[in-house]
Amino acid sequence: MRRTSRYLALLLLAVCAVAFAACGGSGDDDNGGTTASGGGSGEKVKISFLTHWAPETVTAFERVTAAYEADHPGVEVEIRAVPFADLLTTLRSQAGGDNGPTMASIYDLWLPELVRDGVLSRAPAANQSEVEAEWPANLAAAASVDGAAYGYPNEVDLYALNYNTRLFRAAGIDGPPATWDELVEDAKRLTVRDGDRITQQGFGLISSWAAGTVHPWTSLLYSNGGELIDSGGRAVLDSPQAGEAFELVDELANGAKVSSAQMSTADANTTGPYLENFVSGKTAMIIMANWWESALRAGMRDAFRDVATAPIPVGPSGDAAHSVSYSWMTVVNGKAGDAEQAAAWEFLAYLNGPDSGEEGHSAMAALLQSMGILPSRTSDLEAYRGDLDRDFLKAYVEELPNAKPFPIVLGGQEFTEALQRNLEALQAGQMSAGDAQERSQADAESVLETAAG
Amino acid sequence: MRIARQNWWTAGFLAPSVGLIGIFVLIPIALTVWLSLHRWSTATPFGDAEWVGLDNFDALFGGDLVGRDFRQALRNTFVYAGVSIALLIPLSILFGTIVHRAAVRGTTLLRTVLFATYTVPMIAVAIVWSKLYSPTEGPVNQALGWFGISPQPWLSDTSSALISLVFLNVWQQLGYFTVLVVAGLTQIPPSVYEAAALDGARNVKLLFRITLPLLRRTLLFCVVIALINAIQVFEPVATITQGGPVGATNVLTYHIREVGIERSQGGLASAMAVTLLLALVVVVTLVFALMRKGDDR
Repeated sequence: MRRTSRYLALLLLAVCAVAFAACGGSGDDDNGGTTASGGGSGEKVKISFLTHWAPETVTAFERVTAAYEADHPGVEVEIRAVPFADLLTTLRSQAGGDNGPTMASIYDLWLPELVRDGVLSRAPAANQSEVEAEWPANLAAAASVDGAAYGYPNEVDLYALNYNTRLFRAAGIDGPPATWDELVEDAKRLTVRDGDRITQQGFGLISSWAAGTVHPWTSLLYSNGGELIDSGGRAVLDSPQAGEAFELVDELANGAKVSSAQMSTADANTTGPYLENFVSGKTAMIIMANWWESALRAGMRDAFRDVATAPIPVGPSGDAAHSVSYSWMTVVNGKAGDAEQAAAWEFLAYLNGPDSGEEGHSAMAALLQSMGILPSRTSDLEAYRGDLDRDFLKAYVEELPNAKPFPIVLGGQEFTEALQRNLEALQAGQMSAGDAQERSQADAESVLETAAG
Repeated sequence: MRIARQNWWTAGFLAPSVGLIGIFVLIPIALTVWLSLHRWSTATPFGDAEWVGLDNFDALFGGDLVGRDFRQALRNTFVYAGVSIALLIPLSILFGTIVHRAAVRGTTLLRTVLFATYTVPMIAVAIVWSKLYSPTEGPVNQALGWFGISPQPWLSDTSSALISLVFLNVWQQLGYFTVLVVAGLTQIPPSVYEAAALDGARNVKLLFRITLPLLRRTLLFCVVIALINAIQVFEPVATITQGGPVGATNVLTYHIREVGIERSQGGLASAMAVTLLLALVVVVTLVFALMRKGDDR
C-alpha cells in the first residue's frame, strides 16, 4: 500500500507539469513585472524585442539596435528570437512576467485577442497620429482596435503562384495556368511518378502549418468569388464558391493525384519538406507568400532564375485573381512598466521611421527587404520602388491592389486551425469535399460563437 | 503526555516535506481544478475568472470541435503511451538480460551505448530524427531502398506519424529502462537460479519462471515511469509535427499548451488537465490491481 502511495505521488508530480501548462499563464496583477533595471535617473532602461526572424536578420537588427543605443545611452535594447511556432505562446506566457518582452512582432490575426486580454499597450497619441498619417489606411486599420492604434504596421504579405520554369519547359508548357482547369491540367503534365509514388509533384498543397495550409486555399477561394466570413461576421464556408474550392483540393490530392502529402509538410520553423522539394525542383507549382523569396534564393542559388511568379488561378465562379493578404506589426507589452513602455514606443518610432535607414527608408524596411518582404510605410514603398520591380516580387506588388485581407476576428487563430485540420483531412482522403465543407462551416460557426462570448 | 510530545516531533519532522508537497503539488492541482470550473483567459489575473460550472467538461465530451480535438488528443496520448510501453519493457528486459551477463563479450560497450541515448536532450533527438525521417532525402528511406523497400511516409502520413514518434521515444528511453532492469536483476540471488538449474530448468523456463516473476516490482516501476514519461511527450510534437498531419500526433500536453496558452482558454485547458489526471489515476489503479491480483495468485 505504501509503495502504491509512492507511485501515485510520482504520478501526481508528473501531472502537475501538465496542470501547469494550463494554469501557468500570468496570474499577476496588471502592473506585473517589467524588464526594467530601473528607469530612474542614471539607470539604463532595458527593453526587449521578441521576434521570429532568422539568425541573419537578427544579426542585421542588432546593428540597428546598436546604433540606437549609441544615440540613446539611457536605453538598452535586447533582441529575443524564437521559432515562429513559439512566438504567440512566448508572448502570451511571458507578457506579464518579470522578464517578459517589452516589444514584439505580431501577426495581425492575433491582435483582437491580445488587446482583449490587456497584453498590448495602446499607442500614445503621437505614435497613433504617425501611423494614421504615414501608412495606407487599410494597414493602419489592421493595427487598430475600435479606432485605437496598438502598433506600427511593418510588413505586408500576399500570395501568388510560384512555378519552376525549367520543369514547365521540360513538360512542354508555355506559361503559368490562369484558371483552375488549366491548373489541374498543367499539374497532371508536370507530375512524375515511379510506380504509384510521386517523385515530382505538379502542385504542392502545404500541410502541418495553419497559415501555410489555409492562406493558399483562401486565395483560391477569393479568386473564385467566395469569402470566409461575411460583413456581418458570419462564417460563409457553406457557399457554392467554397464548395468548388474544397472540390479543387480533392481533385488535386485524390482525383488527379498531382500532389504528394509527403512532399509538402512544414515544420515549426515554417520550413521543411514543402520548401526542400520546391528548392530541389521536385515541386513544379505552389501557392506561397512573397516572404519566402530569401529562403528560395538561399536554397536554390543559381537555380533561383528558374522560379517565376504569376497571379492566383481564377476559379469557375471568380472574376479575377484575389490573393489573401495579411500584415505584421510591432507592438508594446501593456504589462511592462511605464518607463519601459515609453522607451519602447520611442524605439519603435525610430525603427519604423525614415531616419533609421539609409536614403529615406526605415531600418525596418531594410530588414524586411533583406528577407524579400514588402514594407508597408508609404515612404518606404516609395524609397524601394526600384527594388520592388524585380522579377520575383513584381507579380506580388501588381496583385496588391486586388488582394483581400484575411478576416481579423476574435477566435481567428482557432478558426484558421480548424479549417486547416479539415483541409488536411480532405487532402489525406479522410473526408469527401462535401463533408470537409460541412464540417468546416460547423467548426467555424462554433469557434466564432464561442469567441464572441 | 509522552505520545502527544512524540506526535509534535513527528509533525515537525514531516512539516518541511509535507509543506513542499502542499505548495508544489496540492495547491497547483487544487487551483487547476478550480480553474477548470471557470472561463478564464491565461493572460488575465485569476480574479477575472468567470464561474461556468461544468461547462468546460461538457464541451470536452460534446460533439463539436472542442470535444473532437480533445478526444483525439487523449486517444493519441494513450496510444503513444501504450505502444511505447509495449516496446520498451520487452526490449529493456532483452537488453538488460544480455548486459547483465558479464560473461558475454562487449556488454560494457553495449551498456554505454544504450545509456548514451538517454543523455541526449529530447529536443536534439527530435531534430535529428526529423531529418532521418525526411521522405525524400532521409537516411532511413535511403537505407530501406537498399533492400528494395519503397520510401515510407513516416511523419507525413496519418497512419504512421504517431508510431514514428514512438520509435523515437523508444530509441531515447531504452537505455534508462535497461539500467533499471539490470538493477532489478542484480537483486535476484544466484542461488535461486542454481536451485532451478538443479531441477532441470533452462533458458526460457528460467526467464518465465524465475527472472520475470522476481522482476515484477522492478517492471511495475518501469511501467509507471514509462507511462509518466510518455504522457509528458511534448518536444518531438512541437518541433517536428505540430500535432499533424490531421491531428494524428496531437497529444494532450501539446493540445493543452495550444488551448491554454496560444488560444488563452485557461479554463478549458485546466479541464483537460483534470480529465487527464483522472484518466491516469484510473489507469495506474488498474495496473496496481492487476499486479496485486498476480501477487495473490
